[in-house]
Amino acid sequence: MEYEFTLKFKLPMADASTSTDSLVERLGAAECDDALVGVGQPGRVALSFTREAKSASDAILSAIKDVLRAIPGARLIEAAPDYVGLTDVAELVGVTRQNMRKLMAAHLDFPSPVHEGSSQVWHLESVLRWLAGRDGSYPIDQRLLDVAYITMQCNLTNEARRLEPLHHSRIRKWVTA
Amino acid sequence: MSSRAKHPKKEVEEALRYAEEAGWRVSVGGSHAWGKVYSPYDDEECRCGEFCIASVWSTPKNAGNHAHQIKRVVDNCTTRKRHLQAAQKKAVSE
Repeated sequence: MEYEFTLKFKLPMADASTSTDSLVERLGAAECDDALVGVGQPGRVALSFTREAKSASDAILSAIKDVLRAIPGARLIEAAPDYVGLTDVAELVGVTRQNMRKLMAAHLDFPSPVHEGSSQVWHLESVLRWLAGRDGSYPIDQRLLDVAYITMQCNLTNEARRLEPLHHSRIRKWVTA
Repeated sequence: MSSRAKHPKKEVEEALRYAEEAGWRVSVGGSHAWGKVYSPYDDEECRCGEFCIASVWSTPKNAGNHAHQIKRVVDNCTTRKRHLQAAQKKAVSE
């Protein structure tokens, strides 16, 4: 199956002054030729993959491995699609933004955003799963759901390196009770 | 049409022309890479970020997919979307 996803990386110090052309060549040699490589931001690379694999997790993990083989020390910034606004969800699902707004307003069990401020952000997986559970009125691509689940796992794992054990164990007791 | 070299894969060449029609610049050079595409919107509002400059492979794993990826970056350009929306609004009001 083919899985579509995007990985964004921060370049390691060792490659801070490497030309983007030679980084791209290294990615090409490391079998990232199924991705479009974006080099528009200094100090970063983004790869938009269309990868053939047995599962979403095989696709995404092998892609991360390939990038790290080409650019050792690169740090994953974000796996996408995961953090999304309503407009993003609407586009991915193929409905209008107004339609998504209405759904959100009309249903108390609509997933809660992970951030609410000047903008609202959800994990895509939570919204897709909610939509999928609604009597088939919103057909959800299983591959997209699988990808969203794995990108979320990647981002959560990546963020978890900031956890400090003492706080973590004290907070967990109350927050996940 | 520009005088640049053609991409060897028909689908990719077609995507490059699609990008050029949207104002993107195409530069040729590389080994695994065939060249690059550059967004025309070199402004501060641009949010596409990373994909404002994107690398095009000489022999992508799947030419059709690669062409699709290039077109999607052109279509997703936020500045371009805004310009298109403004143009549509203008057309409606006229």
